[in-house]
Amino acid sequence: MKKLYLLLAFLLPVMAFAQNADSVWFVNNYTKQEVSIPMRDGVKLFISAYLPKDNSEKHPILMERTPYSCAPYGKDQYRPFWVNHLIEYCKKGYIMVIADVRGRWMSEGQFMDVRPFNFNKKTNKDIDETTDTYDTIDWMVKNLANNNGKVGVFGISYPGFYSTMASLSGHPALKAVSPEAPVTDWFVGDDFHHNGAFFQMDAFAFYKGFGFGAPHPKPTTIAAKTYDYPDFDNYNFYLKVGALSNLTKIAGDSLIFWNQMMNHPNRDDFWMARNARVGIKNVKPAMLVVGGIFDAEDCFGAWNTYQAIDKQSPATNNRLVMGPWYHEQWRNNDGTHLGNVQWGANTSKYYAENIEIPFFEYYLRGKGTVDSISKATVFFTGENKWHHLKQWPPADVKQTNIYLQQKGALSFNQIQTFAPSFDSYVSDPSKPVPYTQNVHFNRSREYMTDDQRFAARRPDVLVYETPVLDKDITLAGPVVADLLVSISNTDADFVVKLIDVFPNDAGHNDVDIYAEADAPNTVPQGGYQMLVRGEIMRGRYRNSYSSPEAFKPNQTTQVKYTLPDVAHTFKKGHKIMVQIQSSWFPLVDRNPQQFIDIYHAKDEDFVKETINVYHNQSKLVLPIVGD
Amino acid sequence: MKKLYFLAIFLFPLIAAAQKADIQKDSVWFVNNYEKKEVTIPMRDGVKLFTSIYMPKDKSEKHPVLITRTPYSCYPYGTAFRQYWYSYMIAYAHEGYVLVTQDIRGRWMSEGVFEVVRPFNPNKKTKNDIDEASDTYDTIDWLVKNIAGNNGNVGVTGISFPGFFATEAALSGHPALKAVSPQAPVTDRFFGDDDHHNGVLFLMDAFDFHVGFGFSQPKDKPSMKPAKTYNIPRTDNYAWYLKMGALPNFTKITGDSLKFWYDMMNHPNLDDWWRARDTRSGIKNVKPAMLVVGGLFDAEDGYGAWHTYDALVKQSPATTSKLVVGPWYHGQWASKDGTHLGNVMFYSNTADWYQKNIEVPWFNYYLKGKGSIDSISKTTIFFSGENKWHKFKEWPPVDATTPTPVYLEKDGQLSFRQTGDTGSDTYISDPSKPVPYAEKVHVDRTREYMTDDQRFASRRTDVLTYQTDTLTNDITLAGPVIADLMVSLSSTDADFIVKLIDVLPDSTPNNPVTKYPMAGYQMLVRAEVMRGRYRNSFSKPEAFEPGKKSEVKFTLPDVAHTFKKGHRMMIQVQSSWFPLTDRNPQQFVDIYHAKDSDFVKETINVFHEESKVVLPVLK
Repeated sequence: MKKLYLLLAFLLPVMAFAQNADSVWFVNNYTKQEVSIPMRDGVKLFISAYLPKDNSEKHPILMERTPYSCAPYGKDQYRPFWVNHLIEYCKKGYIMVIADVRGRWMSEGQFMDVRPFNFNKKTNKDIDETTDTYDTIDWMVKNLANNNGKVGVFGISYPGFYSTMASLSGHPALKAVSPEAPVTDWFVGDDFHHNGAFFQMDAFAFYKGFGFGAPHPKPTTIAAKTYDYPDFDNYNFYLKVGALSNLTKIAGDSLIFWNQMMNHPNRDDFWMARNARVGIKNVKPAMLVVGGIFDAEDCFGAWNTYQAIDKQSPATNNRLVMGPWYHEQWRNNDGTHLGNVQWGANTSKYYAENIEIPFFEYYLRGKGTVDSISKATVFFTGENKWHHLKQWPPADVKQTNIYLQQKGALSFNQIQTFAPSFDSYVSDPSKPVPYTQNVHFNRSREYMTDDQRFAARRPDVLVYETPVLDKDITLAGPVVADLLVSISNTDADFVVKLIDVFPNDAGHNDVDIYAEADAPNTVPQGGYQMLVRGEIMRGRYRNSYSSPEAFKPNQTTQVKYTLPDVAHTFKKGHKIMVQIQSSWFPLVDRNPQQFIDIYHAKDEDFVKETINVYHNQSKLVLPIVGD
Repeated sequence: MKKLYFLAIFLFPLIAAAQKADIQKDSVWFVNNYEKKEVTIPMRDGVKLFTSIYMPKDKSEKHPVLITRTPYSCYPYGTAFRQYWYSYMIAYAHEGYVLVTQDIRGRWMSEGVFEVVRPFNPNKKTKNDIDEASDTYDTIDWLVKNIAGNNGNVGVTGISFPGFFATEAALSGHPALKAVSPQAPVTDRFFGDDDHHNGVLFLMDAFDFHVGFGFSQPKDKPSMKPAKTYNIPRTDNYAWYLKMGALPNFTKITGDSLKFWYDMMNHPNLDDWWRARDTRSGIKNVKPAMLVVGGLFDAEDGYGAWHTYDALVKQSPATTSKLVVGPWYHGQWASKDGTHLGNVMFYSNTADWYQKNIEVPWFNYYLKGKGSIDSISKTTIFFSGENKWHKFKEWPPVDATTPTPVYLEKDGQLSFRQTGDTGSDTYISDPSKPVPYAEKVHVDRTREYMTDDQRFASRRTDVLTYQTDTLTNDITLAGPVIADLMVSLSSTDADFIVKLIDVLPDSTPNNPVTKYPMAGYQMLVRAEVMRGRYRNSFSKPEAFEPGKKSEVKFTLPDVAHTFKKGHRMMIQVQSSWFPLTDRNPQQFVDIYHAKDSDFVKETINVFHEESKVVLPVLK
């Protein structure tokens, strides 16, 4: 999902002087063509094509299909490719195409959110995003002047979903596809749900705040109406609104997908059909899956689209790149840090110059080589190094248990105890644990690496940490949380956070992280509790996403689930910390802590409960590299 | 108590470019028109106190003497000039004052033995019976007799610890002393200034000052060298103080040379030792005119200003005493910028207004016989919220206020009427996860916490929050606030922090400077801690009986604030305020000698209806 600020990055860019020179060059050396292309069912989809004036050679086509508009409209209005590395494609003569997907902006037809892959295409009426891509590519290679017959598709976020779908189109001209942070599974891990828990703030901001869910009766260049929130403080806003049914009242009836989400609480056929992985099979083009390890929106999609291609389409030439990035940071110019955490190099620049551009150059223009691009190129934070790997997760990973113990200890050695012991906290839905410290409104992207000290100090957050590490410990791959709990009621959420505790002498971060707008922000780094990975599990789904089960009050129950992949080195001198809590607000909706339909719960259904987490039997399974 | 960063204001000020030219001009003028002399003045017992004197070269008239006695050094030593041009103090130089700074007994270049808040000696019989009052007397006497061209009128001023020395000066009885201004005077380190509030140790301030800053380091002879500081190895005060644990662990660090720290550890309760160190005890027959100055949001000596004035009025009624309290952090009235504190704006430069309209005219009148002080009211108080100066004939304006109870009710309601509910709210206070006093990870105690947004606290499960409906008219408070809680505990002791908060309307725009979201901002107006064991007596602490209802009633320092129409009033109750105050082990043990294992969780009930806060509502 591409958010408002990403559009803003395109439309209202803050341009450096160098970029000004590029903008002049681009306008002088490219022409623009706006076309409506007929699909097999007669519906016409609108594209903007930017063609090089240069005729000395034939040029490849690089396309992004988007629900966010191929703005600006009008033949004389140019898309500012010069604000980021996309200008490099223009300098090499690529034909740059942006397409409004079916039912959005200037395209005809009916939009459908994450339109399911259609396994049974028989007639011309049986369309899906793959057929729309096929028909678009077909028209382009036949009609765009001076093209070399080779097409690439890429896109970040929602356009990443359309990239995945493009790769399933089977058009022979399509040679290379890069799904970047692709929206992949909106129930299990992207955008709106993680393990069935509703990411209310992202969902509401997207469909209502940003106006994405507004109806589209006919093609238009005018943006949907946005919604003015009556607040500057998301915690207060969502707490005051209360139960989700109240949020639905604000959302209104016109938001089709919102209401569908409310009516499909569990992972049923509706959600299974909307898992973008189901159609992945016999993928022909070369694939480059790209994602951010700290992508607050579609981190799941990148890791898991790559895995699905490897497993379901093993013959495909498939590669993975994961950097230490927020959503779409790899297409921004500054990849040196995220929030308070520094990477020691401009990782975005490295990616653009050494991976993405060479990849398309090779497959679309036959230039250079891709030999130096490994199967998996993954940046390891902590160590702050790129690793070039033959597979992901790497072969030498050993699954290693780390146990939650008494007095906040976290240990690789299990203690045999006779009497079970546990830590206890009261989870109060009227005072949920904030997902980040500061009072603010828009969901921050930095929360993924934020200092967790604000949480460690709360009585409703359990904290376990190792002694100071005497050697580096590197994790590569998914982390499993395996808790033994008992709760006083019938449902609870569990948020497990894996944290890197910096040494006390780490000094201050004096980097101006909001250079464009705000004063420098200095954060004490000594003892900083860097979130490496956090994930939520809605307890009712512990055994099945499709058949939720109530807890039996006060009976020990296993809650086991997988956190998204990690690529991080806990350095010698640091400590590993695990935090456990039962709310993550307002990032995730509150669990009423009763086994009822949460999407139609009433305010009075939300009750306090006591949660016990058992020592020694509760553990994390860490994918530790080497011995 | 003057802290390190306050010194820094003098030494390394951050000054707007526009002001730089003036400062430059003033510095050249001062150096050209003043001369400096360093002298050692013998006291009656033979001890010599080091004194820096800046005298105007102008001989066209005789000049008054303005003295500050300080434990923080009359630096710089030698020929270099004290940088009066960085502050409004330069205004006194332009008026031709002889400016004197003195190292008090036993500090820096002065001989003798230093004692932290040396008790006033009401029975001075021999030349060896000295105190700060006698040292001031002897100093004034020497100055008026030895400084050429002085007009025989002396004033004393000082902020914080020098405010204490100003109060003591007022008790010296020297006839040349005409005017004294104790500003944020250290007054009672057990009840409300610096080291304790209501007997609760202000751990961070006390340790940082006496040990970290090295203030209480002993000294065997006069020296220009600052005391050794203790390098507190931390970037995060919450983590460091929590890891240090029980108070004896701190005492181990201090070593055995820090007499005052040891004294504090051995005088947990209000006793004669503390009573002798209540500066108010000597206030009687005060001869000079008095101008007591303080900050509403002074994190160090807010108590001292209100109570020194109060003591003057009650114990020395014939004295011409005046009070000025502005919306200030410690010493902000002497700074260039009195427009805001933290995120809260006051919409005018209150410091500049005070300097030009009160302090300088006041000294000019008493020491130079110049101008008039008719326009300076008995008390001049700035009301935050309304953001206006008010003048009163007395403070608190008892006749003009109505004590108005607001009740803690169910569902987080704060109500002007009792609702008949007999329930309670419950929280667990866990000494291993105390409630932070400020939101962010940081090192030094902030001065802004006094007006900070309390939303971070109201979101915790161990903080009770009660708020009124949106107010339909302005409510102005003027005077002390009384917290009167009915509680029961699962153990034998607990702390209670009561916070009075102004909740800003949802329509409030972001702070124009800090960009902080002010909509729904929970502005701390006043907070105070009470150590439950002292609920009936500060000298005879009493354990709680577990499970039994007990009343905990205490007074919060004075408030001058208007809750505007459209705002809400909020009360928060919590049982820790860390690391501002030390943790209560939540058992009735000697906290100053408690062990880490003595600190236990407990459950606290606060009963509706019977729990209330009594507000001094201005009619």
